[in-house]
Amino acid sequence: MTFPYKGYAGYYLDIDLEKGKVHKKEMEKEWARLYMGGTGVAARILWERTGPETDPLSPDNVVLVGTGPLTGVMFSPSGRMMFASKSPLTGVWAESHAGGFFGPEIKYAGFDFIIFNGRSPKPVYLLLQDGRAELKDAAHLWGRETDVTTDMIREENRDPSMETAVIGPAGENQVPYGCVIVDYYRAAGRTGLGAVLGSKNVKGIAASGALPLEAHDMDKYLEANEEEMAKLHDPLWTESIASLRKYGTTDLVAMINEIGRLPTKNHWTGFFDEADDIGPEIIANKYRVGQEACHGCAIGCKYIYRVKEGKFRGGPAGGPEYETLMAFGSNCLNSDVESIFYLGQRCDLLGMDTISCGKTIGFAMELWEKGIIDESDTGGIDLSWGNVESMSELVELIARKEGVGALLAKGTRKAAEEIGGEAWKYAVHVKGLEASGQDPRAHQSVGLTYATNVRGADHLRSLSSLEELNYPEVIINRFGEEKAEAIGQIMSPKYKGEVIKDIEDLYAVVDSAVICKYGTMWPPVFYFDTFANVIPPLTGMKEWADMNYVRDVGARISHLRRAYNHRLGITREDETLPRRLLKEPMPTGPAKGGLPDLDYMLDEYYELRGSDKETGYPKKSRLEKLDLGFVADDLEKRKMLARQ
Amino acid sequence: MNRFIVVDTSLCTGCRNCELACSIRNTGTFNPRQSRIQVLKNEAKNLILPVVCLQCEEPLCEEACPSGAIRVNEAGVLTVKEEICIGCQNCVTACVYGGIEIDPVTKKAIKCDLCGGNPACVDACDYGAISVVERDEEGLQTRLVGVKGAARQMGVEMEDA
Repeated sequence: MTFPYKGYAGYYLDIDLEKGKVHKKEMEKEWARLYMGGTGVAARILWERTGPETDPLSPDNVVLVGTGPLTGVMFSPSGRMMFASKSPLTGVWAESHAGGFFGPEIKYAGFDFIIFNGRSPKPVYLLLQDGRAELKDAAHLWGRETDVTTDMIREENRDPSMETAVIGPAGENQVPYGCVIVDYYRAAGRTGLGAVLGSKNVKGIAASGALPLEAHDMDKYLEANEEEMAKLHDPLWTESIASLRKYGTTDLVAMINEIGRLPTKNHWTGFFDEADDIGPEIIANKYRVGQEACHGCAIGCKYIYRVKEGKFRGGPAGGPEYETLMAFGSNCLNSDVESIFYLGQRCDLLGMDTISCGKTIGFAMELWEKGIIDESDTGGIDLSWGNVESMSELVELIARKEGVGALLAKGTRKAAEEIGGEAWKYAVHVKGLEASGQDPRAHQSVGLTYATNVRGADHLRSLSSLEELNYPEVIINRFGEEKAEAIGQIMSPKYKGEVIKDIEDLYAVVDSAVICKYGTMWPPVFYFDTFANVIPPLTGMKEWADMNYVRDVGARISHLRRAYNHRLGITREDETLPRRLLKEPMPTGPAKGGLPDLDYMLDEYYELRGSDKETGYPKKSRLEKLDLGFVADDLEKRKMLARQ
Repeated sequence: MNRFIVVDTSLCTGCRNCELACSIRNTGTFNPRQSRIQVLKNEAKNLILPVVCLQCEEPLCEEACPSGAIRVNEAGVLTVKEEICIGCQNCVTACVYGGIEIDPVTKKAIKCDLCGGNPACVDACDYGAISVVERDEEGLQTRLVGVKGAARQMGVEMEDA
């Protein structure tokens, strides 16, 4: 092997599904040096292999499975991996990440990346074992739910420790928000990557391996890792980490309701009277039976629940995260937490994104309330707020695309288009992706995050917790004393363009490493300097020791993903917010009256990105400075560059 | 054989950082499958079971080894002499607990040797689940509690220590 950088497995798989051929290739040096791994490398590959003409559910689309240099080495938290493609739900950039043990296992099995091209003539799954890869028949797995699929794969390979990423019936049926389930109950939930795998007849991937990963200089790496762990153990974060260990993300239900940002009644408001019923204490005291951590993670936010009796009896299984509690709970005016455990688990087994699914059901409930749809549209199903029987029925119908489920499986944007009339007013999405559990009317910078996020209305590309949870020391360190006061005010739009650009670039690196948002977003411990500290001794790429080099990598990835979307037709017009979040002042709760000043923040953001304020297009000189000359050339031909 | 490792399974989150630390210490690489401590899991049963050599009073592995590769070293710790081990797996079959395994790379038996006194896994566990105890009554009781989960899974009846 001539691939020189350590920390990587050194190989990737380029798979021709049409011919059933698996090509093992050596990793490209340039990918590691300029894009690190994960989302960065995915952007580089998807830019080349997909574009405006690619139909997301056709054989022309490509699915990437990615890890990073920190995946599977000692770094907390290092258990993550990612998928990327062109989304069947939104038609633009798609990526989604998952924790657990699958990411590290891909690398111990000998690979950093997998690229699925084309479409298999019959159902298959990809088996990775100690440097070998083969496509295996999956006819007997097709139609199975995700837990059974994993059990069967482990059994037929006689390996109980084999880790998997699989799709369920929803992905097979190409529900545009069908997802990928990793290790039973961890989801690469968003943007419909399960549907793309389903369209390719790929049921999943299984990995098992005992190939060692090396460090360029192990002693120095362990020293650097120790320094980073010391930051995590700073008394400043003790409380946050204790909360994550005890409650996991369920604590956010209480914390976020307190600031009036908990999406309630299809995002009508940000305050839920009955939040305590779906909140952290009742879950921790009554249902939580265990704690789990992803690979090598010192935070350990995953909890295991069990409902012992009643109609929603279930578990032990991974409990629903904040987003699921919001989507099937407050968002649908549902305060029956046992029903949320059930709905969340059904989505995991069917392989469906809980956010898009819950949000689409909430949208339908509002249309029902407004009289825009009635029993003749729903096949007799009563869609009153909080009707858990109806919600349970809808989840099954959506996964099978049957009855009203066929309509709701399209997501809020397309369903609203089809229903027509005023329905669009209640579709809360950006670029076609249903909004996650935040609200810019209670937290200004969320507006900019949602609007600019390359995958749509979602927090994970650039959410800032700095002003949300008030970390003045971190704000001063990163942005200076002068701006600190304005940045610290959650409802001030001032300097939020700078904050969100900075965090978008940071998360681009985080998502390439590939590590978790816990430890980066909340608590905000790891920053660009973390990568400057650990990447050189791990990989041997010396230039990474310069924090400005790391920042440039973040900016390069951000620009490349943005350019990918521009090429698909995305401009400032699309980088906006749904009417409800932009124009209807928050009606109740602690954030009452709040509205985001999106234009103010967008102007600053484009200014700092060096982009045209009218279109959002980038400057040629900026792209060239970031080694993205090939992007500039392409966009120039399409007249998609900013005036210099 | 005066000290051994015990794991408080109620604190273990199954993160496998102990496996990583062990593989780094023993092989200089990141490779959990070469670790001397192993975390067994069964997600469907919410089972997380860290398994490591108990330094038994009457070691079945030692008895089963045809080449005499498993011995008590100068420090009183039961260890495998890699250069003598023939990789026959008799010890793996003999140990009812799963405290010894075959290294998938070297194909020789491997087991915990307490890292010469300061086990890497103990430091690596952020949840405080792993500790080294003395072979006194308290230590033996702690060990018993730690292996109960494994025994239950395998249907083994245990006497009190």
